[in-house]
Amino acid sequence: MEALSNKNKGKVLLRAEGLERKFGGLTAVADFSFELREGEILGLIGPNGAGKSTTFNLISGFMPPTSGSLSFLDQNITSKNATHISRMGLIRTFQHESLLSEMSVADNIIIATTHRLKSQAARLEKMQETAKLTGLEDHLEVMAGSLPHGLQRMLSIAIALAAEPKVLCLDEPLTGLQGAEVGAALDLFEMIRSELGITILLVEHNMRAVMRICDRILVLNHGRLLAAGTPEEVSQNQLVIEAYLGHKK
Amino acid sequence: MLKDNLGLTLCILIALASIGFALFSGDPYYVQVVIWVFTNAVLAVTLRFVLLIGELNIATAAFFGIGAYTTAVASTIMDWTFFASLLAAPVIAGIISALFGWITLRTKGPYFLLISFAFTEIVRLFYTKTEALGGNSGMIGMFPPMALNDYFPAIAVTILAAILFGLYAAERSNLGRVFKAIQNNEDIPRSVGLNVIGLKILCFVIASATVGLAGGVHAYTNSVIAPADFTYFVAVLALAYVKIGGEGHIAGPIIGATILTLAGQFLHSFGPYENIFYGAIIIGALLLVPGGIVGLGARFKTGKFMGRAER
Repeated sequence: MEALSNKNKGKVLLRAEGLERKFGGLTAVADFSFELREGEILGLIGPNGAGKSTTFNLISGFMPPTSGSLSFLDQNITSKNATHISRMGLIRTFQHESLLSEMSVADNIIIATTHRLKSQAARLEKMQETAKLTGLEDHLEVMAGSLPHGLQRMLSIAIALAAEPKVLCLDEPLTGLQGAEVGAALDLFEMIRSELGITILLVEHNMRAVMRICDRILVLNHGRLLAAGTPEEVSQNQLVIEAYLGHKK
Repeated sequence: MLKDNLGLTLCILIALASIGFALFSGDPYYVQVVIWVFTNAVLAVTLRFVLLIGELNIATAAFFGIGAYTTAVASTIMDWTFFASLLAAPVIAGIISALFGWITLRTKGPYFLLISFAFTEIVRLFYTKTEALGGNSGMIGMFPPMALNDYFPAIAVTILAAILFGLYAAERSNLGRVFKAIQNNEDIPRSVGLNVIGLKILCFVIASATVGLAGGVHAYTNSVIAPADFTYFVAVLALAYVKIGGEGHIAGPIIGATILTLAGQFLHSFGPYENIFYGAIIIGALLLVPGGIVGLGARFKTGKFMGRAER
C-alpha cells in the first residue's frame, strides 16, 4: 500500500471533468470525471455497453464530447482531434481492427514511427527494438492479418509503443488470449510501466488480470462512474458486485 | 529484391527504347501511338496512385484536362514559352486539386467517387460555355518551338516516362507505405500522430499535378484540344487499364494501358463495332483474370489460374 500511495502522488497527466457523450437520445457517458497519474496503471472496467470504449474515443480525440472537459499534460484537449492528441503522446490501441492487416509486421511498426522519427535508419532501429520487446522479431515479414490471434494483439501494442507514448490506452488487449499469453501480456504491461516509464489506462474484461496489475480501478455502469478505488476496494464494493452479477433475489 | 531490380532495369530499357524510337523513327503514326501508350499509362498510374489511399478518383480526367487547357492558354493566349507553358500545367492542376481535395477528401468511397465525377463534368461544361477557351470547338495552335519540333516526340516520351518512374519511386518510399496504411485502416495512422486528411490531400495533389503535366504534353502532342477529350470516360478507360493490367503493382496499369491502346488502334478498323469489341475485351479480362495480368504469377503459384472476379 505504501508503494501505491506513492504512485497516487504522481503528477496528473490526464484529467477528465464532467465528461458526457450523447448519441441522439442515448447517453453513452455521463458526468464522468477522473484523473490519470504519472506512472500508474489505471483500470477502466464495466459491463458491456457501460461506455468504456466511448470514453477511449473521447479521450483520444476520435470523438468529441457533448460536454465536459479534458486536459492532457496541463493542456486543454477537449476539442483537439486524434492526430493532435496522439502527437502529444496519448496513444491508444483498438478493440477491433487494431492493425494494418494487409501490410507486413515490420511495416505496421514502421508506420507508427513515421511522425516522430525522420530518418529511415532510426525508424528501422525503433521497429526492431519494438518487435523484440513484443516478441515479434521472428515474424517481421509476415502479413499482419496472417498472424495468430495472440501475436496480432502483441502487434497492436507494438504499433502503439513504436509511437513513443507518454500515456498508453489499451482497449481490451487480452481478449481472446490463452492462459500463458495473458501472463506474458501482463508481464509486458508491467515492464512498459516500470522500465519504459509509460503510464497505462487499461480497459479490460478479464477481472483476474485487472485485479492483478492495476493500481486503481474505475468502474463504469450505464455511462456513469459507479465506483473507484484500489482493486481490493472495488472487488468488495456491493454496487460493483451487483452491476456484474445482478441483485440477489 | 533481385526480381524488382530486374523489372526496373527492363522498364528503363523499354523507356529508353521508346525515346529512341520517338527520335529516329520516320513514321509519325507509330510515334504518335507510342506517345498515346505513355499518356494512357500515366492516366492509369495516376488513377491507381489515388487508389493507394482507397479512393477511386474520376477527377483524373478533369485534371488531365485542366493541365491541357492550362498549357493551351499559356501557349496560345499568353504567349508563354514552351517549357513555361508545360510547367504551368502541373502547377495549376496541383493548386486546384489541393483546394478540391481539402474540401472533398473528408468524404470516402462512393461519396468521393460521385463528387469527383460531378467535378469532371462541371469542368468540362465550363470549357464548353467559355468562349475564351473556344467553347465546344476547343483550342488550337499549341505547337512546340521550331527548334524543338523534331525532338518533341522524344521530349514528350521522356517527360511521360519520368512521371511513371517518379510515381514508382513515390510508391516505394515511406510516403507510399503511409498511403497504403491509410487505405488499409486509416484509424491506425491517425492514432500514431499522422495527419490522415493532409496525407490524403498530398496523395491527391501528387496524382493530379502529374496527370496535369501529362495533359500539357497532350496539348502539344495533338495541337488541338476540345472538351470532349476530357469527359469522365477518360477515367473509366484508365480504370479499365488498371483492372486489366492488375492493381497490385505499378506495372499493371502500364501493361493494361499498352495492351488496350494497341488493341484500340487495331479495333478502329471495325468502324461502329469498335466499342463492342473493346467492351468485350474488358469484360472478358475482368472475368477470366480477376487479379489482372500482373496477378497471374501469384495465381499460377497457387494453382488458381481461372476464378471469379474480385470486387
